[in-house]
Amino acid sequence: MRLVLEQVLNGLTTGAMYALVAAGLALTVGVLRVVNFSHGDLFMLGGYLFWALYIHLRVPYPVAALLMVPLMVLLGIVYQHVVIRPVVRRAWQVQLIATLAAATMINNGVIWLLGSTPQSTPTTLSRTIVQFLGFSMSAQRLLMLLAAPAVFVALHLFLQRSRIGQAMRAVSQNREAAEAVGIELPVMALWTFAIGTALIGIANVLVTPVYTVFPAMGLMLTLKGFAVMTVGGFGRVNGTIFAALMLGVVEALGAGYIHSGFTDAFAFIAMVLTLLLRPQGLFGRKVGI
Amino acid sequence: MRPAARASAVLVAAVVAAPVMLGAEYLLRVLILAGIFVVLAISYDLIVGQVGSLSLAHPAFYGVGAYTTGILTTRYGLDPLPTFLVAAALGAVTAVVVGIPSFRLRDRSFAIGTLGMAWVLQLVANNWIGLTRGPMCITGVPPLMIMLPGGVELTTIFPRTGYVLIVVIAIATYLIAWAINSSRVGRAFHAIRENELLAEMQGVNSLFYKMLALGIGAAIAAVAGGYYATYSSVVCPSEMAMMYTITLLIIVYLGGAGSLRGVTVAAVVFVVLPEVLRVAAAARLFVYGGLLLGAAIYLPGGVEALINRVERAWPGRSATPRSGR
Repeated sequence: MRLVLEQVLNGLTTGAMYALVAAGLALTVGVLRVVNFSHGDLFMLGGYLFWALYIHLRVPYPVAALLMVPLMVLLGIVYQHVVIRPVVRRAWQVQLIATLAAATMINNGVIWLLGSTPQSTPTTLSRTIVQFLGFSMSAQRLLMLLAAPAVFVALHLFLQRSRIGQAMRAVSQNREAAEAVGIELPVMALWTFAIGTALIGIANVLVTPVYTVFPAMGLMLTLKGFAVMTVGGFGRVNGTIFAALMLGVVEALGAGYIHSGFTDAFAFIAMVLTLLLRPQGLFGRKVGI
Repeated sequence: MRPAARASAVLVAAVVAAPVMLGAEYLLRVLILAGIFVVLAISYDLIVGQVGSLSLAHPAFYGVGAYTTGILTTRYGLDPLPTFLVAAALGAVTAVVVGIPSFRLRDRSFAIGTLGMAWVLQLVANNWIGLTRGPMCITGVPPLMIMLPGGVELTTIFPRTGYVLIVVIAIATYLIAWAINSSRVGRAFHAIRENELLAEMQGVNSLFYKMLALGIGAAIAAVAGGYYATYSSVVCPSEMAMMYTITLLIIVYLGGAGSLRGVTVAAVVFVVLPEVLRVAAAARLFVYGGLLLGAAIYLPGGVEALINRVERAWPGRSATPRSGR
């Protein structure tokens, strides 16, 4: 039983990473109806950025952590400007191909420049073992477990209460009507990507010290993000976050008790089952984020 | 035969025959790869260009074909040629398995669903060691050998005859696709592509035709996989990699989705060019990504649009809409 609980806690940290990535993905789909195939690759790029800051430039952890979010938001704005803006009103096929092309460029650009060897970024926190509820884990994982829920609550409040959040929800519910009352789509696209990449930046700061970074992780995260989004309800932020946390736990338990080689398949098995049994997702609705 | 058609037939014959005459091994090997991609691109275009469902699972069908031939020949000692039929059948079955859950989805969700299924198949290839030997790959696949009357032997051991074989497969694929596109089935495909709801109202069973397109495309891709297995003698899980999807998307969208000749030309260009320029794989894919991004944004019609523009500029001839578009 103890072992099971330990696996669940491990799974929740992985799940929190999936959730931080997938929430941005769900936001993009919900608000802009754009399926962004580069989202995971932006996370991968952020991982390398953190690695460069911490290992090569020897920036102390708290400073690197504070730098990461604005840097990633900047990256998101540039990405939005170069890739999304030209296609935001085009057919969905064009959008999908454009973002897939961008993902290929990011992925192979990194392989080209840095090679595909996994890089690890151990920090003081990830080397310190602490006791939490009777379980021993690295301080970094504990930080992850405590910080991620706070981020999700903040995101939820932002979307529900703030003017920008309300405008984003308006666009997601009826783009034409929202534009008719003066909400500008390009501005909302910018906000969506800024928030999405800010979440990625936070995830990088929390997760990169525990895991390794390698080029192929980007596409895998994107695909898992899509899978949990399908399970949680297409374009539904809260449903997606819940499904992502579940996936982390299922993967941890599955790796321990079924077969570690098929860990990556669980997301898609869950996705296929959802599609067969409940195509709109667990929390799916017709509209809205 | 119209003069233009005759001229292009002569041109095609010359392009096909010249490398065999020259016998330059490196060139032939590059062209064999190009031939495989022509087959893959045309079969991919059936589902993406003709029916308009953006499947991202195509390399999985290619992989199923390669593994079918690889396993049946090495483990059960079968002759390669009949295994191509089994490969085609299994490719079509895989397409149905992928299609049943995926066709419950539309548009972008369909694309993601098929990509997820392809991912699972690659994981199976990687982890079901008992069947596929996983990352250790299946090795020692015997070459394809066909004895023609008159003592002429076509085999994949030699690039020269291997090239002839893939050209035959490519031409057959082209003709099959052309026949489908200009038939009743093809008109149903195009009706679904233009407006699925309207097509259904006209009595077109869209699920049946979409499944048919995916199945035929998968069967052809599986045969290409079988050919590859006998040609390279090795089958690895990486044959199902995402990289193939990207390359095929570039070929189909730069060639002009739904245009047979555009897709064929693009397949040859996009395989031969980087090989001849000797570009490293990562740099090549980086450039490919840039090209695909630029094409998606600025060049909606692809090569087909270019061909049409050239035809319109040709004095005394009017541009005729071809099969597909």
